[in-house]
Order: sequence, then structure tokens, then C-alpha cells
Amino acid sequence: MASSSTIALLNLSSPFSSRPILSPSTIASLGVATRRREKKPSLATVKASGGGGGGGGGGAKYKGTQMRERLLREMIEEKVAEAKEACEGEGEAAAASAECRVAWDEVEEVSQAKAHLRLKLEVLRQDPLESFCGDNPETDECHVYDDDDE
Amino acid sequence: MAVCTIHPTQSLNPACSSIASFHQKQGLFCTYGSRAIMAKRGGVIIQNHPPSPGVVICSAAGGSDTLVIGLAADSGCGKSTFMRRLTSVFGGAAEPPKGGNPDSNTLISDTTTVICLDDYHALDRTGRKENGVTALDPRANDFDLMYEQVKALKEGKAIDKPIYNHVTGLLDPPELIVPPKILVIEGLHPMFDPRVRELLDFSIYLDISNEVKFAWKIQRDMAERGHSLESIKASIEARKPDFDAYVDQQKQYADAVIEVLPTQLIPDDNEGKVLRVRLIMKEGVKYFKPVYLFDEGSTISWVPCGRKLTCSYPGIKFFYGPDTYFGHEVFVLEMDGQFDRLAELIYVESHLSNISTKFYGEITQQMLKYSDFPGSNDGTGLFQTIIGLKIRDLWEQIIATKTGAPLEAAKA
Repeated sequence: MASSSTIALLNLSSPFSSRPILSPSTIASLGVATRRREKKPSLATVKASGGGGGGGGGGAKYKGTQMRERLLREMIEEKVAEAKEACEGEGEAAAASAECRVAWDEVEEVSQAKAHLRLKLEVLRQDPLESFCGDNPETDECHVYDDDDE
Repeated sequence: MAVCTIHPTQSLNPACSSIASFHQKQGLFCTYGSRAIMAKRGGVIIQNHPPSPGVVICSAAGGSDTLVIGLAADSGCGKSTFMRRLTSVFGGAAEPPKGGNPDSNTLISDTTTVICLDDYHALDRTGRKENGVTALDPRANDFDLMYEQVKALKEGKAIDKPIYNHVTGLLDPPELIVPPKILVIEGLHPMFDPRVRELLDFSIYLDISNEVKFAWKIQRDMAERGHSLESIKASIEARKPDFDAYVDQQKQYADAVIEVLPTQLIPDDNEGKVLRVRLIMKEGVKYFKPVYLFDEGSTISWVPCGRKLTCSYPGIKFFYGPDTYFGHEVFVLEMDGQFDRLAELIYVESHLSNISTKFYGEITQQMLKYSDFPGSNDGTGLFQTIIGLKIRDLWEQIIATKTGAPLEAAKA
């Protein structure tokens, strides 16, 4: 199990100090966006909450999305186990075998998919089912969770 | 002058009602019987809904070919930071097609469509397992179809592009893609097939060094229950032979390479937090003037932090100079370190030349737009943004030469 103290994180929180050298009027004249970064979660807190499992981290709004998150999470575990098994055996040959390489490639694929979903939900704050559920609000996939559901 | 293609279809298309939310400025006509319902913005139509009796797709490219950009990266597609910075420069945020397959990998903005090359997988996950090939292997990909469809889009024809679903690992029913002004093809093999390479107006390779890749994957995956340091390492190593053979070898063809390396400013740093990023720009590429520092063609080492500008540890270091890369003459612009304050970013921007900005501070503004994203305070974000501006510049030059008309008219 990974503890957050061993995770090396990109320093994303407040890359700019709260007291910029440029005057506010100069910044305004640059047409620079003045979105407050403090409101958005830093990647540190996002990681801590995202890995906990349960009813969806960050921003999953619809049931379908939470199901996808859960599915991907489970697939990662499954496929890592499969890959370890496929690569078991006599050292070099086993590691170089097609089964071994394909198995770890699958792990990479689902890990990427999970990470993308997380990025979308927690940083972009978009649920991928937003548009579909806008058109089809009655479907089971589009059931919206409240915090005290499940 | 618009190029129109007619798609014959059978019955009433309920999808036409969702066209109102499409992004691209193209005339899309849906007809039912004799009544024409015109939708102002064309985009993506769901293919698995019963289509309408006659759908006319008109490309608004104004007679000029679609600009095709290739981006080679191993970080999955369509949702990457690079893509967002790139499309943001052209204007508008790129979103997944509305009303279509929610697992679509495509992104569409007002000017740009981003296609994920995974959609051209010839083999789905099961197929790859059965055949013992990874997704990195060319045998898992249909380059004939890729070439055919990219060519069609470039010539102003709409295509029915397959969708590779990364969640299920299956190939889903195709989605309709209409020719955009700018087409970006992103994935593992944009430059692998020579025919596809020929179609690219500009190509970029994102080259992440092994140490940085490892550090990034740790950050990405360690929060997942299934993963451990060993599994992450094993996954990288197992994919390395195919990666080196089929993906890495494309970098010699790229017009620009963004190389991401560990910093040299901190001895023995292995956290991957501070990065050294090199922008390698090929010389002699049409419409592309490499970015430079101070004096084009000379070799410069520059530490912006000092009396005028104070930076916090570990500071910032720039390098610029000519070099050769796989036998090509190139210019390299390199940044090591991190921006800590807005002032540093503006200061650096004001000393770079040939950055193709339209106003002073445009790079800074773009960087701030995606300040939540990785790379927003170092060379990755800076060079991705600069490449976006260079591509915009390239596009405008091409438009100006091809149509011979004022830029304003071409944009209409």
C-alpha cells in the first residue's frame, strides 16, 4: 500500500506567490485571467482523496461515471496480478515473452485511462457523461449521487 | 467556397436535434422529406442513431486545405495537457463531441479537431492478447485506414472514424468527423507510416527521458490500489523494447522535439519535480522560424535571476544554440528550473525572440490559463505554449499564401 509520504508530487500548488511583483493594473492590462488558484485542489489533496476508493473521488457526478471509475480501479488490480503471473518463470525468457509484454501493456492502458478520468473529474471538473446525460437523464447511468447515497 | 459531400441516409435522424451544440463553424444540413433543418455548426454525428434521409456536410475551410499536425506522445490522447495548451492558443477549449459516444477520444474546438490514433487500432485488447502484440506494435494498428482518413480530412472530406474504447478495450461504432481548419493527430505512431508523414504540415515528438517517465508514473499510479513501485517499474521495462523499436525511432522525423530530462540544478535529484526541458527545432522547415535567445545562430547561456530579478532555489537557467540531431541542423532552446512568480515568466518572455505572439505577455497569459496543469511553471508548459503559437503562425502564413486573401476574410 502506498503512503502519501512516499509519493513524489509535482509542485503544483501556488506556483506563483500571492504577492506578484507586477502591479495589479499591469496584470489587468495583459488581459491575464484572474482565476483564484487557491480554490482549486492542489494535486496533493487530489491524490490523497482519489486513491481512497468508495463512492467516487473529486467530481464524478453520474452513476455511470462512478461505475467506470470503480471498473478501472478493479481492472488495474486484476491486470497487475495477471501480468505478474504472465512474467513468472525463468528470468530473461519469461520477461521477454509476448504474454509478459502484452500483460504489462494492458496495465499501462488501464492505468492511463484511470488517470485521464481522474484528471478530467478533479482538475477539469467535467463529468464525461455530462452531454449524454443532458440528453438522457432518465437512464440508470445518469442517476446523480448525493453524498449520503450508498 | 465550401467543399460539400453528401451522405445518403435512410430515415429521420433524431441526432439532428443535438447539432445545435456542435462546435465547428460548418454548415450542416439535415433534411427530412423536403424540409431542410439547417444547423449552424457542424461537428460529430452519432453513427448508431438512424441517420436522416440526406445529410450534406460542407467544409468551411474556405478552399484551403486542412492543416495537419502530428503529435507523438506516450501519454494517451486527447486529454493531455499539451493538447489543451495547443488548442487553447488557436482559440476556444477543445471538448469531446457532444451527444456522441461518451468514451470518444476525439476533441473538438471552433478551429481544431484532435484525433486519437488509438482509434486506428486494428486489434482490440482481446485481439492484441491473442496475437501477442502490444499497442505499441505497428501490427496492432491499421495504417492504411489512418492514411486514407487523414488524407480525406486534409482534402476536405468527412470521414467515419472508428472509436477505440479505452475502458472496454473494444472498437466501438464509428463517429463522423468533418474536416476542421486544423487537424491534430495524436498518439503513438503519427510519423511511423511514410504516407501519413507526408500529410503532416508540422510534427512534434514529446520525448520523456526514462527517469522522468518513472517519476511521473509513480505520481500517476501510486495512489491506485493495484500498483506498487515494482509494478510501475515492471510495466515501463516490459514496454521498453517495443517503445524503442516503434515509437522512439519517430523522433528523427519530427520538426520539433520537446525533450524532458531531470534537472541539472539539483545534484542527485530523482524526484522529477524540477525539470530540464529542451526544445529542439529543425532548421529549414517551411513557415517555421525557430525561437531564439538574444542572437539567432549563436550560443547563449543565460541565468535570468540576479540583480533585477530574484528567483528562489533552484532558480532558472537557459541555454540556446545550434546543434545537429539525427543528421539534421537544429536549434536548441533549453530551460532548466521553475518559474516561481509571474514576474519571472514575463521577464523570460520579453527576452525570447521569434515567439510569434500577437501581443506582449501572450505566453504568460496562456501559461496562467492552465496553471492547474502539470508543467505550468516550467519548460514543459513554456515550450508547449510556444509550439502552439508557432503552429498558429504557420497556419496563418499558409492561409495567407494559399488564398491570397486578407486573413479576416479567410476566417469568416
